[in-house]
Amino acid sequence: MESNRSFLLQLQILTKRMVLRVVRRPLAELPNIFISAFFLFVYDGALGDVFGGSVSGTPFDFANGNFVNFILPVSILSASLSGAASGIYLVEDIESGVFKRYQSMPISKWAIILAPMNVGAVKVLLQASLILLIGNIIGADPVVGAIGYLVVLSLAFIGGMGIAGYSVAAGVKSGSSQGAQAATFLFFPALFLAPTFVPREALKGWLQTAAAFNPTTYLIESMRSVLVEGWVIDVLLKGYLVGGIFAAITLFLAVTSARKATEKA
Amino acid sequence: MLAVDVKNINKIFANKQDTVEAVKDVSFQVNQGEIFGLLGPNGAGKSTTILMLTTLLSITKGSASILGLDVATNDKLVREKIGVALQDTGIDNLLTGRELFFTTCRLWGYSKKDSEKRTAELLELVGLMEAADRRVKTYSGGMKRRLDLGLSLVHSPEVLFLDEPTSGLDPGSRRVLWDEIKRLRDNGVTIILTTQYLEEADELADRIAIIDEGLVVAEGTSDQLKAGIGGDVITFSFENNDDLENAKNILKSTVQEKNELRITVKDGASKIPGYLKDLSSNGVEVSSVSASKPTLDDVFLQVTGYRLEGSEDIKKEEEKSKR
Repeated sequence: MESNRSFLLQLQILTKRMVLRVVRRPLAELPNIFISAFFLFVYDGALGDVFGGSVSGTPFDFANGNFVNFILPVSILSASLSGAASGIYLVEDIESGVFKRYQSMPISKWAIILAPMNVGAVKVLLQASLILLIGNIIGADPVVGAIGYLVVLSLAFIGGMGIAGYSVAAGVKSGSSQGAQAATFLFFPALFLAPTFVPREALKGWLQTAAAFNPTTYLIESMRSVLVEGWVIDVLLKGYLVGGIFAAITLFLAVTSARKATEKA
Repeated sequence: MLAVDVKNINKIFANKQDTVEAVKDVSFQVNQGEIFGLLGPNGAGKSTTILMLTTLLSITKGSASILGLDVATNDKLVREKIGVALQDTGIDNLLTGRELFFTTCRLWGYSKKDSEKRTAELLELVGLMEAADRRVKTYSGGMKRRLDLGLSLVHSPEVLFLDEPTSGLDPGSRRVLWDEIKRLRDNGVTIILTTQYLEEADELADRIAIIDEGLVVAEGTSDQLKAGIGGDVITFSFENNDDLENAKNILKSTVQEKNELRITVKDGASKIPGYLKDLSSNGVEVSSVSASKPTLDDVFLQVTGYRLEGSEDIKKEEEKSKR
């Protein structure tokens, strides 16, 4: 046996095992991709001509002539919800007793906890990339050029990690994979208590207030800035800052709750 | 050096609403290369004891060491030395047997090449080579238990903990697993197993500790425990409840089990006529009487006051499978 079982090697082995689990259940991945793509097609189909400015007489051309650019962040964030799978994977391992098996071995508890989060991160990137590709095919065209897609992807990743952290914390707290799944439904309302279909200033008063307190708002606005307006640095920075704080808080909660779960009773 | 040394361990689970003393006071010692059985019913404290010894639960009071290493202060080193197959340890159903062995070998520090070699050895050892590339969800209960046992052997542990290893298995699978456990012992592995099956303890364990309500109530080899009963067991059966109650007053020191009374005496067969005479002269009708050498079942009944449920079922299953 090798004398040095490094943390990174353990993490890599456990992540690979988790990837195998995901690959063996391909149908479990479809609903989130389908819904994200569905949002993109349906919102563009229903609202594209109104808010895109091509219907004569409409005063609302905040999409700068390309509604796919405007609505794409909503579908991207919907794809980021796939990060919630991290919590579900971890709790599945706790429920099935696999977690206990690893605890009885001399391996790092952090490797056990971080492996599902790694897989969640990869899933977010893959699903968001797929939606970006679909968006590109149906007409998305960032005003800052192709680099805009990378910015959108990085923001999606930060948001996805925030959701992953939340789902791990909720999953460990509830102690069941159904609990982890149910807790992530909270993010659906969050997706709509935001400037989802129109800019924030066009929302009614109460919704404008709710949107101001919703981290989703800042992620959507910063993604939109590079897709629709150009390099609007303050909006972009706000997106990274709020998304980063959100992810830091939920990852802290994830680590704290997971540490409690791995402590000896 | 002792393989396992347990000194007065105690476990209390406490939360805001409740406090439960799952293990009150358990002590035992296990020599290297022996199979030690912890026998007791569900809820007796066997699994909690195993969880403490395998470093998965903290010990509230007392101390325990594995191969001289204190489980509380040297938990990481202890985990290097032990193999664990718990009742509720999970197996990833979506992976194949080969993938599970390979992953576990890699986690134990084997190189890729050595992991492949060790995987093949272990698949052969637990008789799963043919099913190696099938997903575990297609395995039978017996195959899963063998896989579980194999996974606990990846790093060639010196001490192996098996928590109810044959629970829920059919007689055939149980026999296969028993043979594998004995082979491991013959190869020098120390094994601590919990069971609620008397036959399993009798068949496998070199020494047995009977554990009840968080306490060790008897300990020794199967023969020592049986000899400790102090003679033969005479069993009287009664059809009438009044006869049974009267007989209880006439025959002293009996243990009641449903419509039967048991009494343990030296040279039981020769004493039966005298007992029957006493009973008959007091108008007590006995439906049947027999004398037998004590079994582990009798030992359990004597030290706990009740019979271990489930043991009858395993006996019937064994007889059925022999037919």
